[in-house]
Amino acid sequence: MRTTHSFAVALLLGGFGLAQPGLAQAPAVPLFVDETAASGITTSYDGDWFYIVGGGVAAFDCNDDSYADIVLPGGESKAQLYVNTSSKGGSLSFVPQESGLELDSVSGLYPADIDSDGITDLVVLRVGENVVMRGLGACKFERANEAWGFDGGDAWTASAALSFERGSSWPTIAVGNYIDRNEDISPWGSCTDNWLHRPGGAGKFAAPLPLKPSFCALSMLFTDWDKSGTPSLRVSNDREYYEGGQEQMWRILPGAEPRLLTPADGWKVLRIWGMGIASYDLDGDGYPEYFLTSMADNKLQALATPGPKADYKDLAYAKGVTAHRPYTGDDLRPSTAWHPQFDDVNNDGLADLFVAKGNVDQMPDFAMHDPNNLLLQGGDGKFVEAGDKAGIANNGNSRGAALVDFNMDGLLDLAVVNRRSGAQVWRNTGTEGGGNWIELEVRQAAPNEDAIGGWLEVKHGDKVMRRELTVGGGHAGGQLGWVHFGLGGETTTTVAVVWPDGTRSEWPNLAAGGFYVLERDKPASPFSPRD
Amino acid sequence: MRGHRLAAFGAAVLLWCAASLGALAEARPAPGAILRDWYYLMNELVRHTATYSPPVASRSFAYLGITAFEAAVGGSDKLTSLVGQLHGLEQLPQREAGVSYDETVVISAAMSDAIVFYFGNTGPTGQRAINRAQSKWRALAVEGVPEDVVMRSEAFGKAMAAAIFAWSQNDGGATVPNMGFPYEYELPKGDDKWVPTNVISQQQLPLLPQWGNNRTFATPDGAACPTAGNPAYSTDPGSEFYKEADEVYQVVRNATPEQAAIARFWSDDPMLSMTPPGHWISIALQVAERADLSLDDNVDLLARMGIAMSDAFVGCWHAKFVYNLVRPITYIKKVIDPKWEPILNTPPFPEYPSGHSTVSGAMDAVMTAFFGENYAFEDKTGSPDGRNPRKYASFHEAAEEAGISRLYGGIHFRSAIADGLVQGRCIAAYTIALKTRK
Repeated sequence: MRTTHSFAVALLLGGFGLAQPGLAQAPAVPLFVDETAASGITTSYDGDWFYIVGGGVAAFDCNDDSYADIVLPGGESKAQLYVNTSSKGGSLSFVPQESGLELDSVSGLYPADIDSDGITDLVVLRVGENVVMRGLGACKFERANEAWGFDGGDAWTASAALSFERGSSWPTIAVGNYIDRNEDISPWGSCTDNWLHRPGGAGKFAAPLPLKPSFCALSMLFTDWDKSGTPSLRVSNDREYYEGGQEQMWRILPGAEPRLLTPADGWKVLRIWGMGIASYDLDGDGYPEYFLTSMADNKLQALATPGPKADYKDLAYAKGVTAHRPYTGDDLRPSTAWHPQFDDVNNDGLADLFVAKGNVDQMPDFAMHDPNNLLLQGGDGKFVEAGDKAGIANNGNSRGAALVDFNMDGLLDLAVVNRRSGAQVWRNTGTEGGGNWIELEVRQAAPNEDAIGGWLEVKHGDKVMRRELTVGGGHAGGQLGWVHFGLGGETTTTVAVVWPDGTRSEWPNLAAGGFYVLERDKPASPFSPRD
Repeated sequence: MRGHRLAAFGAAVLLWCAASLGALAEARPAPGAILRDWYYLMNELVRHTATYSPPVASRSFAYLGITAFEAAVGGSDKLTSLVGQLHGLEQLPQREAGVSYDETVVISAAMSDAIVFYFGNTGPTGQRAINRAQSKWRALAVEGVPEDVVMRSEAFGKAMAAAIFAWSQNDGGATVPNMGFPYEYELPKGDDKWVPTNVISQQQLPLLPQWGNNRTFATPDGAACPTAGNPAYSTDPGSEFYKEADEVYQVVRNATPEQAAIARFWSDDPMLSMTPPGHWISIALQVAERADLSLDDNVDLLARMGIAMSDAFVGCWHAKFVYNLVRPITYIKKVIDPKWEPILNTPPFPEYPSGHSTVSGAMDAVMTAFFGENYAFEDKTGSPDGRNPRKYASFHEAAEEAGISRLYGGIHFRSAIADGLVQGRCIAAYTIALKTRK
């Protein structure tokens, strides 16, 4: 447990969008140590044109020890599962294990309990046929396309998201497809249809529903952007390939045809090289903000007016998160951004932002030395770059990533997938004067045991930190398991879950510095990780 | 232009397949047709190469057009070289006398190398497309041609592309760092001066502020066709400046569907379209294909268009950084209505004169000189992006519409449009005066 730090004063007085002039202080910088060499991880994301995108990592516990294991895509090489053998607070250690996931042409993976049997499954995205892999326990998986009626198709897939539509015991999976890889000289304008795999009854998926129009999706996220209780599907698209396209939000109501939001809904045309989505309620108004990665300037979107109108404004410049070019070194060319993730890496109670960076492939107008970003949020709601000071400014050509507490010490560590070179892991060794933390795992009775579509709320002073429980977003990969919150100087906190059906449960007076399983209608259950 | 483009590509691919089986040796593409296919690909690359803002596109179209023209001159009994007529172009490779060349192979080889010279910085998909096109279209071009003729023709085409590229390297526009946005630049101060109009970090300084100093092709220099100057800046409602701003404000607020459609039809945003130069090249390709132009006519037209559009952008950019005028969005929000928003994205550089108007005025003049007055045509350029084709009774009508589209879109005042069109036609006169025929 960490001690109170001077930053707590600012935390109590101001958050994102609630600037307190004169009180802003530089955020405390965590120190990460590159432990790749000793970690046992060697997988690289290989291949040429078909693998210019993708490279997402899945992080989840597959052997019931509560430590997050990881699966790395290999591109044209085989994917590899690594069992986490780290000890509590110790160095990061992984052991490759045969799992049934040794598939080639994998671009990304998202963990989710599709059949609600309590064992995490995987949606495996591929250049070719997508595959749903049923978890068998002990980090073993088997193909379930046929058993679950999942038509994996034959496309260039690099994004997905999952949701349980209200009233359904079987999930809906959205799959985002890229360009027609069979187009020869002129692939531009050849974006292939995204698919919506909805429940088909009796533990199977229905035939995939094409989402028309589709504009070369590289990230998708089911998100309750308007607090309606029904998540919509946010899609970030790569303008390099679409014609007449834009960013998209689909309203997906149970039993109804998907409907695109339009200007009548407040939706404004935005055209970017959309590659990744991160969401977090940064300003505490209950509505998520969205960070969208692109090339050169990135975007940070917030509702112009909190409410039902999908009118987003861009706050990236004002908040210091454009991350448009390298912040260290002498390469001043524009950046290329991929996986984004909001999380609190210094436990000060403010969500920070990690962004994976890397040139598409020898594009001379964009930075070749493009270090990943670690943007720390300050008390004035603005972010400050600290990737170099924190020790994560790598030389790799990064794609996917995951901020996860791999060694269960309350500090978020980092795994990064690199194109054509080995993945990397960094251990977060702490922040001088760093704050307290709490980690939470949410459970409810099947179906949807992980409460996907719900919200976690953690009280911090007079503020409430909220984050949505989602499967999707980022770039081609995601995490399932413990959800981490920094608490600054707080020694206890009150935690609540807004379940996917809208009901709310609250657990007061949880001590900081601990892990808790929050099971619906039960007391919070403290958990002690193995040493 | 996808449907149109694919038609061309599709024909080429079909012919290639057939030719590879030895069944249709006589169906080799004519040199004009293969030139147009390369141009369709170039227009894709303009859209998908990060440095390709409109001025940069115009420059490449100039060198590419001249490359094709000079490659064709030696095989034509009608064309005469531009050597000595364009600034700095003093010597070019010559064909060997008394031996034969194949014009399709010459043109294909020249464009095959030139496209790498000017689009070598494109992304991996563009590189892949170039490689595929080089391979497939070469196979088409050489089918049935004697090997010695192929070798001689390819060598000459390549030599021409290399010579033109070498000439291009010291014109001031050969390198475009940071997608054209300077790392350092001191913004002129004053209420009338341009200020950034968006919150994109990269665009807090204006695009290509030195472009107006580039070497021109046919005009003496960037200052050769000066504009009259914008109305004196004023916030007085009775002033001419205020009236022009209020016109933009009112037109956008009350835009008819037709006006909004026109604004979007000519929007031609970099990275989302082939840019205004590419749009006019697209028009030329459509017209040339419909008219089934000969190789001589094709290269003459495309060279003249490239030269005129490049000189137009140098001239326009020279003027832009003389006046450094504020954009409508800045003035209107400050003086008239802080909540006003234009239909189009405001480009990140000074307002006066309008670049699209200058280049459109130039293209009107060049194409009218080539095809004649009242040459009616239909423009399908925006079809792949969901915009309906538009019909025009003349190039003049199209250019006037392109100009006024910027007012409908809320990004230019009327003076910038009117003066831009005049400036473009002035600049084009130098190109029209070039001697390309014996």
